[in-house]
Amino acid sequence: MNKLLLTLMALLLLVLISALAGLNFGPADLSYSQVFQCLTGNCADQISQMVVWQVRIPRVLVALVAGMGLAIAGAILQNTTRNPLADPYLFGIVSGAGLGATIANLSLESIGLGDQLNIALPLAAFLGALFAITIVIFIAKVLQQMEQLLLAGVAVSFMLGSVTQFILYFGDPFATNRVIFWLMGSLSRVEMNNFYVIASVLMVTIVAIIALHRQIDALLLGDESAASLGVNVDQLRLLMLGLCAALSATIVAYCGGIGFVGLMIPHIIRQVIGVTTLKLVMGSALIGGSFLIWVDIIARSALADAEIPIGIITSALGSIFFLFIMIRTRNTH
Amino acid sequence: MKQIIKYLLALIFISITFSSIAETTTEHKPTIIALSPHIVEMLYDIGAGEQIIGTTAFADYPEQAKNIPVIGNYLRLQIEKVITLQPDYIIAWKSGNPSDDLARLKQLGFTIIYSQPNSFEDIAKEMREFGVLTGHQNQAEQQATQLIKALELIKAQYHDKAAITVFYELWSRPLTTIAKGSWPQQFLNICQAKNPFEQANTPYPQVNIEKILLTPIQIIIQPLSFNQEGSQKEKEAFNWQDWPVISAVKNKQIIQPDADAMHRMTMRSLGELKNLCASIDDTRQWLQQNNEQ
Repeated sequence: MNKLLLTLMALLLLVLISALAGLNFGPADLSYSQVFQCLTGNCADQISQMVVWQVRIPRVLVALVAGMGLAIAGAILQNTTRNPLADPYLFGIVSGAGLGATIANLSLESIGLGDQLNIALPLAAFLGALFAITIVIFIAKVLQQMEQLLLAGVAVSFMLGSVTQFILYFGDPFATNRVIFWLMGSLSRVEMNNFYVIASVLMVTIVAIIALHRQIDALLLGDESAASLGVNVDQLRLLMLGLCAALSATIVAYCGGIGFVGLMIPHIIRQVIGVTTLKLVMGSALIGGSFLIWVDIIARSALADAEIPIGIITSALGSIFFLFIMIRTRNTH
Repeated sequence: MKQIIKYLLALIFISITFSSIAETTTEHKPTIIALSPHIVEMLYDIGAGEQIIGTTAFADYPEQAKNIPVIGNYLRLQIEKVITLQPDYIIAWKSGNPSDDLARLKQLGFTIIYSQPNSFEDIAKEMREFGVLTGHQNQAEQQATQLIKALELIKAQYHDKAAITVFYELWSRPLTTIAKGSWPQQFLNICQAKNPFEQANTPYPQVNIEKILLTPIQIIIQPLSFNQEGSQKEKEAFNWQDWPVISAVKNKQIIQPDADAMHRMTMRSLGELKNLCASIDDTRQWLQQNNEQ
């Protein structure tokens, strides 16, 4: 059995263990046997049934696919732009989603449709994220330099962020709170429908990546080399960017802002498994999914009386990770 | 003697029957999760405090409220804990609780009742509603009537007083005040205190100290949280002594009401209204006596 297969099997095992751990941690005091009974359809009481099937299972599944999606999006963006700092959120996706959420929050409240927020907010956030990525692509197209995508993303991110803050400043302070906290990210609101939607977009993205992985690998050699191998560089980059944007926007719409996953995980995988697209994507998906499940476990179990927004934990871990990379790079040099 | 024993037995029987009826009634009182400090206070005011089985952080009044299990904060609720507690009703603060968590709880089959008092009259209205909900109609009605009567008295006492210009310091960093649409603005209206920032575009505008220096402020209202340590309170408050050109500072007319009592929409805030109006009136009289602007 070769090393890659063994590594992937170990990562699959990690996903399984993480998922089982995710089902067993939580503020409700359920024993392992109670959780196991519920999983086999023999719940001891209605409360355990509700906790396991309506709270923990959707959370674990959404954490799994969201972590997979963000890590895959990061890996693909880093490979297609050949920029190690590329991350789905650096393309203005969170700022766009924040603007969408702000507009939905304030406009629906003002016309008395505040109760519809639960449906409208993810939709508006998704549209906002797509709006942001459309502007980024448009700017890069106008500049005729696709490598400027990241800079355009940072600029758009600041621009949309300032529009959001301006609107929030003049809006209802409670709506401001809602938007700010929503952007910190959480899996507490998720349900099975969210899992189906994210999983569908994730599947489409994975299929496209598998079909085009050789062309994406060619991009690693440089645009000229890829073009000489018959790859339509701009078209491929645009397609991948579009898919990653749709995937990240869907995740942000349901889970809020979860930063750094797309940045950190592919870096780890490059060290452990390899840099070519297929290996990188498979490894990123498995580690990203497990990582977010564990982050969510910390989010709901670390404090006795409250939940920690998931984005706070991923950002904290991400910053430590960056410092670690910086120190390591310095030592290597 | 037989007669006495008969009466005693009858008395014991009646007391046992009544106590069992009372217990049965208590058992049927609905259990409640109250998702904000003001809801907890309101429920204690109407005698339903013992029915609260869960609340959010900072529900610290009255003293017994500190023993209620906490199931989240203004940012997130622990849905699993709510499921475990199985309340009959969840009373939520419409604008102050995470709407997505509430939507999820509703979806899970919990009955959610919303609280959103925007005026003192709303407090009375909600107390009556919660009274019906919790089986404490009489006490709720009594409290609501008392609140409305006390409010009318305060309004009557101050309605024809001369207006006095005040600055309301909501937060010190950044310096933030209140305007129309905010909860404390009604305190100023009732006490005949003129807020120069009342017509601002946002209910809680940030203000520049330059603007305050240009306005003849006669009183500064600086609510402080008395739950915090003394040093913390002082650190968080704006240091007005750095600006002696403001007439309120020069005349030492800075009022420091209890922020918790004032900003929570409960019976306590009425007491704070009474104190605030009295303090403002003291300054009004002092200014008249000293012929100050």
